[in-house]
Amino acid sequence: SSNEHKLNFKKSKEACLSYIQDALLQKQWKRAAEFLTCYVESLEKDYSREHIGPSEMIWRIGTEILWHHSQNSMKEFNCFMEQMKTLGVKRYLKVCLEHVFHLLCNGQIDEAYQNLSVAESWRFGEQTAIQDKEMKLIQAYRGLLDYYSWSKQKNILLEHGEDGFSDLAVEQEMHGYFRKAAVNLKEIIKIPGVWDIFVKCYVDLLEFYGDHNEARQVLNEYAYNSKFPANPNAHVYLYQFLKRQGESKKSLVSALKILHDIVPSHELMIDFNTMLQKSKRRKKLRLGLEVIFAALDYAGWKENAKAWSCLARQVKQIVISEKHLDWIKQEWNSRKDWWPAFHFGRYLAKKNWQENKSLSYEKALVAGILLGKGCKYFKYVSHQGCKAQLKRFRMLKKFVNRHNPVYLRISG
Amino acid sequence: MEFPAALFPSYFGAGPPQEEGGPAPVAGWGEHGQVLGGGPGRRQVQPAFVPRRGATGDKWEAADAAAVPVLLPSAGCWIPSPAPQDILYRSGLCRKLKASKSGATLDFARQLGHFFVDYPEDAFGSLGRLLHKNFYLGNSKLKRPARNSTIRMTTLMEDIDRLEARRGCPRQHLASRLRWFSHLCRDWLFEVPLGLLADCLHEELMQQWSSLLFDDSLTGGALAWLPPEDGGTPVGCLVHPGGQAMNHLYFQDVVLEELPRTRGSPAQFELSGRVQQVAAARVDGQDFVGVRSNYHCGVWRVPGKRGAAPTPLQVIRTDVPASCLTVSPHLPGELSVCTQSGTVYLWSIETGLQQLRHDPQTMFFRDHSPWRWSDFTAHPRVLSCADRTGLQCLDARAPRRCHFDLFKVGEEAGCQQGERVVLPMYLGRAHPSQYLVTTQFSVYVLDERLPLVPVLKWAHMMKAPPLFAHLMPGKPGRSHNVLLGASRTQELLLLQYRDSFWGVSSGGSQSACQLAGTPQKLHTIAGCLQHLPTQLPHRHHLLQQRLTAPAAGLAATLQEDGPHKSMLIFQFSEAGDVIINDEEEEDVGTPAPLKEAELLQEPCASPQPSPAVPSPAAALRYRHWLRALSRACREPPRHTWPPSLSQRRLFTRRDLEGPAGPSSLQRQMRQRLRQTMEEGGRIQHWEPLGLQLPPVPQTLEPAGGPDPLSARLSAAWAGDWEQWWEERTSFSVAQRQRALRERRQRQKRAQGRRSLSASFTSSLTYQSELSELSDTGPPQLSPARPPVLSQEGSPPAGSPPVHGPVTSAAPDEALLSSQSLRCRGIPKERQKTLRDYLSVWAEGPPEPPEPPGSQASQLCIPSSQSQLSSASQPRRKRPRMGF
Repeated sequence: SSNEHKLNFKKSKEACLSYIQDALLQKQWKRAAEFLTCYVESLEKDYSREHIGPSEMIWRIGTEILWHHSQNSMKEFNCFMEQMKTLGVKRYLKVCLEHVFHLLCNGQIDEAYQNLSVAESWRFGEQTAIQDKEMKLIQAYRGLLDYYSWSKQKNILLEHGEDGFSDLAVEQEMHGYFRKAAVNLKEIIKIPGVWDIFVKCYVDLLEFYGDHNEARQVLNEYAYNSKFPANPNAHVYLYQFLKRQGESKKSLVSALKILHDIVPSHELMIDFNTMLQKSKRRKKLRLGLEVIFAALDYAGWKENAKAWSCLARQVKQIVISEKHLDWIKQEWNSRKDWWPAFHFGRYLAKKNWQENKSLSYEKALVAGILLGKGCKYFKYVSHQGCKAQLKRFRMLKKFVNRHNPVYLRISG
Repeated sequence: MEFPAALFPSYFGAGPPQEEGGPAPVAGWGEHGQVLGGGPGRRQVQPAFVPRRGATGDKWEAADAAAVPVLLPSAGCWIPSPAPQDILYRSGLCRKLKASKSGATLDFARQLGHFFVDYPEDAFGSLGRLLHKNFYLGNSKLKRPARNSTIRMTTLMEDIDRLEARRGCPRQHLASRLRWFSHLCRDWLFEVPLGLLADCLHEELMQQWSSLLFDDSLTGGALAWLPPEDGGTPVGCLVHPGGQAMNHLYFQDVVLEELPRTRGSPAQFELSGRVQQVAAARVDGQDFVGVRSNYHCGVWRVPGKRGAAPTPLQVIRTDVPASCLTVSPHLPGELSVCTQSGTVYLWSIETGLQQLRHDPQTMFFRDHSPWRWSDFTAHPRVLSCADRTGLQCLDARAPRRCHFDLFKVGEEAGCQQGERVVLPMYLGRAHPSQYLVTTQFSVYVLDERLPLVPVLKWAHMMKAPPLFAHLMPGKPGRSHNVLLGASRTQELLLLQYRDSFWGVSSGGSQSACQLAGTPQKLHTIAGCLQHLPTQLPHRHHLLQQRLTAPAAGLAATLQEDGPHKSMLIFQFSEAGDVIINDEEEEDVGTPAPLKEAELLQEPCASPQPSPAVPSPAAALRYRHWLRALSRACREPPRHTWPPSLSQRRLFTRRDLEGPAGPSSLQRQMRQRLRQTMEEGGRIQHWEPLGLQLPPVPQTLEPAGGPDPLSARLSAAWAGDWEQWWEERTSFSVAQRQRALRERRQRQKRAQGRRSLSASFTSSLTYQSELSELSDTGPPQLSPARPPVLSQEGSPPAGSPPVHGPVTSAAPDEALLSSQSLRCRGIPKERQKTLRDYLSVWAEGPPEPPEPPGSQASQLCIPSSQSQLSSASQPRRKRPRMGF
């Protein structure tokens, strides 16, 4: 009966698919390709209502095989992709995008651009939400490629400009690229998402043409719109823009303060701390201490000599001036139950000493002040330092011994 | 670690997942996902693009044809957990039902039937006893008067059988007798009300079935690998559970060689529950191992140097089953524990438990699963906690105020409908702020600095959800390897990702995370079945059952030996087997021309790149393993039948054979007896008896009572039992003196007849041994010893003269007397064993304990020794013969 036939067909289809899967997972591309030629038959009687139908499977499997097959050529790949595009209307844009990605990764920028243009002009009835998104992406990538062309022209012009020679045609072309790129890039970055690369390019364009207000607005929107994910890069871009613009310290600090609140472990926190340490205002100094303490809470910063030297410097300043010891005390209060084991254990002392002497110097200074001269880390490092007859370690020992009462005040 | 200068583009939505989906067989192939352009640098003409997926990775090849067992099977056979066919309905009718709509039909009736058969006492105990007389189980017809009050069960049984045979027949309901019977007694026959019992059983069945479909108690895996110390000898340590109930914890040293081998015997701990998870982390050069069972969690410390013993540190008990235990990679002796009631604890060895959260509800939307998970993050005070709907991070210092969402099953991460978190894992060893989250469809890498948006997503296409994951961090700039393992299907998938590629654009700043290379399937445990030596069909079946047991853990290690890199993957199965997979890297980083050619040729030339036949070393392993398995799983002896032992095992035939002819001693004796009879005289001092034993009281009838029991009984019968006892126990000083005097005289005489008495030395020593054994209370009467009266000494007053016929010992006794044993060549140390042993047979079934004094008389074999020893010892132990 036809029902039985259907069932049998389905079964053999599934079996074939599992063979292909097996071959792919074992990198047996040729074997997979052989099975795939059999599987193509399943297109003829496609009864399935699963969300990935046979045509999509063939596209996915075929692409994967062609990526890895030893005898593949770009031409064959393009040919296969063109065929796949005709297989399903729903998937047309997706396949186009993936095709473009592959071309881009293989350095065929012009072909990619052509493909993007073709895809952009594709229309088929009413678009689904997903197709809408894909279309926007296609436009955005085209904008990106336009931007690269613009940037190329700009470089040519700049180089030629140095020679005191200007080419009007090139300039015209460049402005054309700008317009095309700006339109498309502007569109995508309005939609919530992670658009780092598009934003960067768009801002670069705007800055070149002196539209700083628009650039600032775009960056502010990207950083502070609550519909967008909390992307640290958005804040970094804003900060870098402000810096380029020569904005006041206050606005730089406030931009970094927000970054600090979102990602206390961001690498810009060192810059932030240095900036704050230079300040005369107590509030900012205080914030600087907070920032560097918070950064050093994270495992990724554990062996960051720069960060430790920032902390050491600031702690030393406070200890010498004997002002604001309560700041250290407050910061230390929430950490004194786990920092000793996390940073100042004997094992780490040994390891730091062996691997990075200057790191162990900074850490020993902090340890000596926070935990007193009896602290294991300090004792080990200063002992080793004195044994190796390093002058600054002797100084360190002296310093800590002199300021030991500070430890009592902090811990008390 | 720097944050990538630019991330791959992606949309960001909020709310529940939009995409409809389900398991898709090939969803992970053929996609680059997105590309990231470097942009034209100063010198570059063209911008370079990198894909999110599709970059080249390391190329790993299996080093052997199949996985190889590492540990030999331990003693005691594995008990397989229930399989679907055990609890599902199997008849044809239900196949139809199944095909129609509902997924699976649980065979409820069969299980209930099993319960009634296995626990009849619990099911019908009291009424069964009450109605015992009213049920007739025989085959014959019942007679008229009995018929009124008795039911003939045979008919009912026949009806049941008929019903079973007619299953599926449309007229199967025509069993009126059965219906009548069940209608009649449904309400009162059962000890536990039937409805209640059925409810409980059904609940249990549902639970069994759901755990068969997906058992999340194993999440995390019960295998841990403690890597060798940096620069030390290549000896690591495998931590795994074992034993029949999986309640033993083993720390086994493993030497990493071409084929890793165990070294020494493992350190072993017996725990009070089945080990569900073993987690480990290395802090400050020491390994901390956390072990989770349902109601207990424990932590061990293993010093970095191999060979040092692991120290148990602390154990906690939970009221609700724990579902997660992870060990902090930051601080020594810190762990996080979750229970199924939705509580998350930070557990510190020094300060104890700190509750971070208690919420029986799931976090982002409602889900019925009580499973919870928790792990550490880049900040030692911030813990992640997860349920099936997502992950949140909590600050342990202020868990109520400070928290943020790290992952949500929803549009934020582009999830599918019905997607659920299966296993989260902190990837700290590769990148301090990255996190792995697996669902049944996809695997995500998250960066806690950019919560909710996965920096990497890939559909893993595994048939069963990945319950185990293992990370092997690569060197900076190289890809990290992640292994995903499923339990029931034993699938094992190797993924590679790069947390950073050196950005082509921004002059070497870090770039976003990308998936490298193609995912690879690795050998499963069941895969080694075809490489094992050929087995008999039934053994093959058993072996298959064992090797296809669900996987229960996963661990791996990377070894670098110059340019040669190899990856060792340990897989642990529920049957307690640890199997190793060896992968070797084909170095693609420095392609020598020849190598390149090989690489090009290999996948095309041979359909199977891995060797088809296991290496000799592996084959040897298989054989060893198989031999140990057959040894370990031999049927243990059962004791359902009365113990029977052949004597041949205890004694050789020669032992049991009597002496061929009369010995010289016997000949002498006979000769002497005959001579004396001819002379009409009598033999005095036939044997030099009882050196230290005073003569027995002469209350016995001389000819009659050979044993004390009959003597006592006859005394009791006569009514003067008390007197008998008095006489038996009290001896006057005069009697003792007389006895001593007699003995001395006997000794003198014995010296005179050295030739004869010398031959009795054996019995002499025997007697003295006895006296040593017993703390000579009132001596018992030994029937083997005839009363001997001296010619000179007058018989005790008031006692009739005793003639001295030598009473022959009972046959049993003859067997047991030390002389006969000795003369059969049975060594002294075995004589007692034999006696004890035989006394058991004579004793028959054990009887209720007797007061110590009277037991001697209870013994049927009045062998002198057994009497004496039992009289003196407070309570006789049953002889131990190994059963």
